[in-house]
Amino acid sequence: MKRLVGIAALAAATALAGCTGVGSGEAGFSSYGLVTVKRVRVGDGQMSVVPPRNYNRHRRILFSDVGDVEDWTLNGPILDGISFVSGMKNNRELIRQRRTADQQVPRFRSDMTPPEITAMLESLYRIKGGAVQLKTLSLQPRPFLGANGFQWDYEHLDQDELWRRGRAVGVVIDGKLYLILLDAARSHYYEAMLPDFESIVASAQRLG
Amino acid sequence: MCMRCAISRRSLLVTGAVSAAALHTGVAEARIRPQDMAPLVGPGYKPTERDEIGLWKEMDRAEEEIAGSNLLVSDPRLTGYLKNIIGTVGGPAAKDFRIYLARIPDFNAMMFPSGFAVVFTGLLLRMRNEAQLAGVIAHESGHFLRRHMIRSWRDMKRKSDLFAIGAMLAGVGGAGAGVYLGDYVQLAQLGTLLSLFQYSRAMEAEADAMGARLISETGYPPMEMANIWEQLIGEENASARYRGKRRRRGSLFDTHPSEGSRMVDLRADAAELTIPGKVYDNGRTRYLSMIGDIRPTLLDDQVKLNDPGASQYLIETLAQDGWNGLLRFYEGEVWRLRNRPGDAQRADQSYAAAVVYPDAPADAWRWHGISLMKQGRPAEAKAAFARYLKMKPDAPDAPWVRQMAG
Amino acid sequence: MRNRGLALALALSVSASACVQMKQYADVQFTPPQGDYKLLVLRPDVTVGSLTTGGMVEPRADWIDQARASITAAIKAQQGTRGGTVTFVERRNELSGVTPDELAEVERLNAAVDESIVVHKYLGDYLPTKRGKGLDWTVGQGAVELGRKTGYDYALFLHAEDQVASGGRIALGVLGLAGCIVGFCAPNIGGAQQLDYASLVDLKTGKVVWFNVVIASSQVPGIKFGDIRTPAGAAQMVDRLLGRMKPGQDVGKGVVMSPDAQGSR
Repeated sequence: MKRLVGIAALAAATALAGCTGVGSGEAGFSSYGLVTVKRVRVGDGQMSVVPPRNYNRHRRILFSDVGDVEDWTLNGPILDGISFVSGMKNNRELIRQRRTADQQVPRFRSDMTPPEITAMLESLYRIKGGAVQLKTLSLQPRPFLGANGFQWDYEHLDQDELWRRGRAVGVVIDGKLYLILLDAARSHYYEAMLPDFESIVASAQRLG
Repeated sequence: MCMRCAISRRSLLVTGAVSAAALHTGVAEARIRPQDMAPLVGPGYKPTERDEIGLWKEMDRAEEEIAGSNLLVSDPRLTGYLKNIIGTVGGPAAKDFRIYLARIPDFNAMMFPSGFAVVFTGLLLRMRNEAQLAGVIAHESGHFLRRHMIRSWRDMKRKSDLFAIGAMLAGVGGAGAGVYLGDYVQLAQLGTLLSLFQYSRAMEAEADAMGARLISETGYPPMEMANIWEQLIGEENASARYRGKRRRRGSLFDTHPSEGSRMVDLRADAAELTIPGKVYDNGRTRYLSMIGDIRPTLLDDQVKLNDPGASQYLIETLAQDGWNGLLRFYEGEVWRLRNRPGDAQRADQSYAAAVVYPDAPADAWRWHGISLMKQGRPAEAKAAFARYLKMKPDAPDAPWVRQMAG
Repeated sequence: MRNRGLALALALSVSASACVQMKQYADVQFTPPQGDYKLLVLRPDVTVGSLTTGGMVEPRADWIDQARASITAAIKAQQGTRGGTVTFVERRNELSGVTPDELAEVERLNAAVDESIVVHKYLGDYLPTKRGKGLDWTVGQGAVELGRKTGYDYALFLHAEDQVASGGRIALGVLGLAGCIVGFCAPNIGGAQQLDYASLVDLKTGKVVWFNVVIASSQVPGIKFGDIRTPAGAAQMVDRLLGRMKPGQDVGKGVVMSPDAQGSR
């Protein structure tokens, strides 16, 4: 979901020194922090997972990120990413949007069935991610966090002409949405990250 | 040049190729008459001047990239259909044009300086007959036949040069960055900008007039070009009204003539061009049969953007030819995604209506089933799910539906 | 065409000063190719235009052809000194052994990988897990398949853009300088820009083993930096990009490439 950061905006935000080289190298401020191999809370803290290796977590951007959504990546969000939704309540939205925007990502409702949740995610990709095609590959029941959840497999074509594939595992418990989602380039990156994703899903625990 | 695209001076500076104009409206100008619109190029045209040769070469590279893009629709029946149309309404250059269809849900079409056009699938959803589609293609051809791109490029160049010199002379630099640093500079830039847009507005009007002429010469009713704008205005009004906004109207900085004024001018053009007693054909039957297969996909792409005002307007427009299972289903989808109080019930009703028709898509049965489940009617829900699975035994979500169907 | 956004972002991020900035990253295990190897140069994206007085770019067909020819010759000569054979592929259907679609898939993923390298290495938004690791990106099995089917060892993706100040621009620059002499200094408008990047993919592993970005900008129009339309300028650009390939950090300390005077690490 974080691929939405414009590259131009990034360039503008980056301060570069003069003639000593292009780019500030790897010093200074980055929008990513390190996640190490231990149990860690994600989103607003209502879910915790254990990554099988070090990951990069995207720092929260005040006023534009939603508290119960968090994004991780290994190779950068253009190529791969794992996103977490940690107990999103009724009527909340996955991404901040203007009230008056013509196209709007639907809000989450506690009585949503899995097809409705996946439709909400599909709209997110089409409206905010610029996906021009999105296909559901499968939707099946899958236990998650000790309850009857679902697994959604999909792929989408984006405006950079790259096909990406994804898998989401989710469940609604006490009216709140818990979800872990993998989205990566269909060529190489999805398969490479899938084992990590499954390991993270298996480790997930609900708190509070 | 395109039907509707956002202007970006920055993008013009970087690519310097496809001219762009802002989305909305502009101050009214005197109408350009179709009979004054003569093509400025003939068949087999190739540029001879240095700057135009350079522009074409750049465009060849762009065309190569676009032709190889996986965003294109490759259905040969559809692309062949578009090629036929441009081959008929393209004027003298008809046989030289190339045309590509991209699967993007926006209403847009654009012509590039070297004679290739790109049309978006959002256009196919909104055009009601072949005459309207031909009208858009003819409009784009008009840009090429009147050499708008190279004229606009040269004008931009001339004006940017002027502006930079003006800024320098005023002693307040920063021309490249466009920084406002003094009244003189601000005035100069304003003047430059205004005249630039003026030029663009005239060009759009020329293309409209040329397009009307080209399609009427082919035998399409020229009034259909005016109808395009009437439909578009209706859609924008519906979209804005739903979000509690007003549709943006004309402002001095807009480069397209206002949609309203385009419609008015095109109506006058149609009156002039229509020959009493001549039989015109809007090609609706052929058009509907050509796009019939892709229409569900186009509706899907549009509805999933969750712009309920626009989507509902489009569905109701299509329903003027008669409601059917497909349209009732997508009507339901619009309510479901909109999800305001009462919309769930509206969606339920639409799905229930959809499944009565023989052409109801399989998905209508699944959503009908989900509706029934939520209404606490499990037996009927199971029946609906069973019907879905019967229609689509290999549906990707069959495992989940089977669990629901019990 | 889509790479233009990237080029613009890089250009925007360069601070205003007259210098050649270059930084290359290499995979930690990388040794620059020597001996008998086969290098594929894929669809070099060359644009050369004339920078008009107002700052617009006007593409010049004859210059583009000239620049392409110069770069091609320069790369062949340069790689020839190392012992490899170089093949240029201009169109997707020119590479025997793979279909245009297969090649397109690799190119698209490579573009996304290159974009990521620029964002996370050059524009400073670094990924903590990749810190200090040289280059740690791959184009995956698709690239390996490409190598297997076509018989090439390396693939070079090249992007070169060079803008030449036109007569009007130079005149304007002089005006500004003149203003400076009499006590008022107009800020430099910004002269010719040269933005090039190259990424080298090892087709046996699919990994990006070497990446380089060169931004040579002259803030004073009329002072030419390696005009790539000329054989000398092209050779200079190619040399900057490819000639100073340095081995990765884990390769034996005894291996030293010709030292590089400016700004590379």
